[in-house]
Amino acid sequence: MKGAPTAAAAGPAGLRQFLVRFPFLPALCILIVLLALNGIFEPRSLSFRSLTGIVSTYLALMMLAVAQTYVVYAGDIDLSVGAIVSLVNVAIVALLQQMGGGGLTVLAVLGIGLAVGLACGIVNGLVVAWLRLQAIVATFATSILFTGLALWIMPVAGTPAPAAVWRTYGGRILEIPFVFWAVAALALVLAILARTRLTTQLLAVGDDAVRAYQSGLPVTRIRIRGYALCGVFAALAAFCVTGDTASGDPLVGAKMTLSSVAAVVLGGCALSGGVGTVTGSVLAAVIIGLINSLVYFVGTPSEWQNLVQGLAIIVALMAGVLVTRWARS
Amino acid sequence: MAKLELRGVGKAYGATVALRQGDLEIEAGEVHALIGANGSGKSTLCKIVAGSVRPDRGEVLIDGRAVTVRGPEATGALGIGIFYQELSLARHRTVAENISLPRLPRKGGIFVDRAAMAAIADRHIALFAGVAGAGFGADVPVERLRPDQAQLVEIMKTLASEAAILIFDEPTSALDRAQAERFFEILRERKRAGVGIIFISHRMDEIFAIADRVTVIRDGETVGTARIEDTDPTAVINLMVGRHEAASADAPPDTGGEDGRASQSAAQAVLAVRGFSGPGFRDIGFAVAPGEILGFGGLHGQGQSAVLRAIFGALPGASGEIRLNGDALQPTGPRATIARGCAYISGDRSRDGVIHERPILENVTPIHFLRNRLGLAHPARLRDKAAPALEALKTKFAGFGHPVSSLSGGNQQKVVIARWLIDRPAVILLDDPTKGIDLSAKADLFALIRDLADEGIGIVLYSSEDAELLANADRILVFNGGRVTRVLSGAERTRHNLYRAAYEAA
Ligand SMILES: Nc1ncnc2c1ncn2[C@@H]1O[C@H](COP(=O)(O)OP(=O)(O)OP(=O)(O)O)[C@@H](O)[C@H]1O
Ligand SMILES: [Mg+2]
Repeated sequence: MKGAPTAAAAGPAGLRQFLVRFPFLPALCILIVLLALNGIFEPRSLSFRSLTGIVSTYLALMMLAVAQTYVVYAGDIDLSVGAIVSLVNVAIVALLQQMGGGGLTVLAVLGIGLAVGLACGIVNGLVVAWLRLQAIVATFATSILFTGLALWIMPVAGTPAPAAVWRTYGGRILEIPFVFWAVAALALVLAILARTRLTTQLLAVGDDAVRAYQSGLPVTRIRIRGYALCGVFAALAAFCVTGDTASGDPLVGAKMTLSSVAAVVLGGCALSGGVGTVTGSVLAAVIIGLINSLVYFVGTPSEWQNLVQGLAIIVALMAGVLVTRWARS
Repeated sequence: MAKLELRGVGKAYGATVALRQGDLEIEAGEVHALIGANGSGKSTLCKIVAGSVRPDRGEVLIDGRAVTVRGPEATGALGIGIFYQELSLARHRTVAENISLPRLPRKGGIFVDRAAMAAIADRHIALFAGVAGAGFGADVPVERLRPDQAQLVEIMKTLASEAAILIFDEPTSALDRAQAERFFEILRERKRAGVGIIFISHRMDEIFAIADRVTVIRDGETVGTARIEDTDPTAVINLMVGRHEAASADAPPDTGGEDGRASQSAAQAVLAVRGFSGPGFRDIGFAVAPGEILGFGGLHGQGQSAVLRAIFGALPGASGEIRLNGDALQPTGPRATIARGCAYISGDRSRDGVIHERPILENVTPIHFLRNRLGLAHPARLRDKAAPALEALKTKFAGFGHPVSSLSGGNQQKVVIARWLIDRPAVILLDDPTKGIDLSAKADLFALIRDLADEGIGIVLYSSEDAELLANADRILVFNGGRVTRVLSGAERTRHNLYRAAYEAA
């Protein structure tokens, strides 16, 4: 429409455009509100120590939300991310147990862990994009496969990780906790990835795969790459889990899969693809973490905690979705 | 030797033969127009050249060598660029990203070279400087653009391929006159640079303005090629329809009773609008008498569509008085206005009309469901209701169960129109309804609309084609800058008056 924008309309219209450009803003607002609430109910929860604790616990979910984001960009979904986390977790713990926990060995094993994640991602990509199975069903199937492998490597939970791993993860470098360095590194990597052709191509595929194909984009390859990237970030999530729990558990990631999907949606991504930011997903992962800690701090009886957590997440999702819908209307 | 040659190319989708026999020769440095009825196979032919449809048989030769186009990915290397009729844009990406999408400039191996991308965008946006309209820019997401602006982006994307063979499948269907003129200038320039161009349009005047040769395609077969100076519109139409019929002239329709209709008071009007303002239009007032076809004219995007959408309740933020058969109508939403007997038919099928991937039957019947508050579907009975409506429009379709997306653009539009005809509406709002419809289907459509008007249904027609408006509307409101600047009735309805009112500064 050619309609002349009036001064009165510029306010909300400007805000809307801002929201469309930065779809993670609702998540950021919710995050700030939650931090404030945490502070009100338990002032100590805003201490450096407890914030470090939250980041240590939820860094894995941040990584996994990022992983999920790249497939959701393209309009796909990956229900096997949790299984990849489990598989990489038991694989590196088992390897470290056999090879010892020396510095170089740990690095080599982490390299192998990344390769395992990458391989899982490529398998998902091939099954979904090349064999053209429904993403939701196909990755559910591969999740069973990956879990099976994890159980084969380590039938029961509890094998401890070498001290070097959790000492580093829980320790400090130059007086700053390691996890904050990790967050900074993650931010840097995400900033770099945002400038790649792959990100733009994934989003274009998510917008409309047929149109992207007609435009001459190698749609199948792009989707496979999205899944590969997802696998790599799932492996990074597994490293965080290993650092945080200091042990191997073949089922540790199972409950994280749907949290990662929730985080992606809460962060402003459209599950239909084409819209979203990794920043939003990371913030949303922290939101989920803060909700859990808030539920604890307000003194919810333990038998009610799950229920209240669920309700809080639904409220946060609704707020985010409503704001996004208003911005796009 | 021809730049591009097609020999006996054919394609069938199951029982539907999309292209029977495509033979075409494009020279370097020529604009070759392709014209044919809806569903005659023009888009299929183009998609075969562009690699997005694999032919069942036949040969494609470039510079005399037979090539296999393995997919759209391969067209870059072969020097083929294509404008898709249904556009190939990513809605949430920016104009700049869309222009460069097939060949994102590379930096450091994996990064997008943003500077190079911006430069490409600026260069192509500059080509349409002054005609692209408000709100157009390199950083605007495509979803924020008007349909004509989106079409410009697809044009820029095609030009950015810098290919030696350019295919334009109905690139001007949403453009206004100034935009189309600019586009033709660019085509002439490319032509001089030796580019071979395929140009598809349903607008005869455009074809005669820009093409060097014209090929007519009928029922999937290329039936004849002529140099433009050796032919005329009548000959082309005769070849197109394959039967001898006089081409419909510009002549205004039967004017008997004309003045009587126009002078009827607003109280008797089917639809009366007063002091109607909203996003993109101000202070609109008019009355549609029973039996009258009221036309909206003027340059593209001057508020005509917005008014129609607002009356239908699909565009919030409008205020003013609307009376339907004398009773006030609150356009709170399409559900409310449909229940009162409003019908709205848009040329923008993919946004307003078609339910993609769903069967034809489901696409014809939703309004029937809504108006009769039907809860249960009874397919056999629905078919009986749907069939006459589709037949009245001579819709070409294989079966009710086929997905609507399997139809050609024009036949999809007929399905959309048919859905309003099952239950008789009080007023029909036509928002550029013939976009992408072939000439004979247009004639069918307007004959039908005239019949509906004679039955007492109020008709408001906005058309971006002046000839269509002049030939069919009893009265024409000329829009300029969101206001009605002139009303043409009776003998005033001439192209001259229409142009003058449309081009005058608002
Ligand atoms: N993907 C498909 N599946 C089934 N049938 C198809 C498909 N694409 C095209 N067709 C059929 O092939 C025929 C030719 O379609 P095409 O789109 O080439 O027509 P067109 O000449 O471009 O028409 P229009 O002027 O309406 O755009 C139509 O009858 C259409 O229904
Ligand atoms: Mg077509």
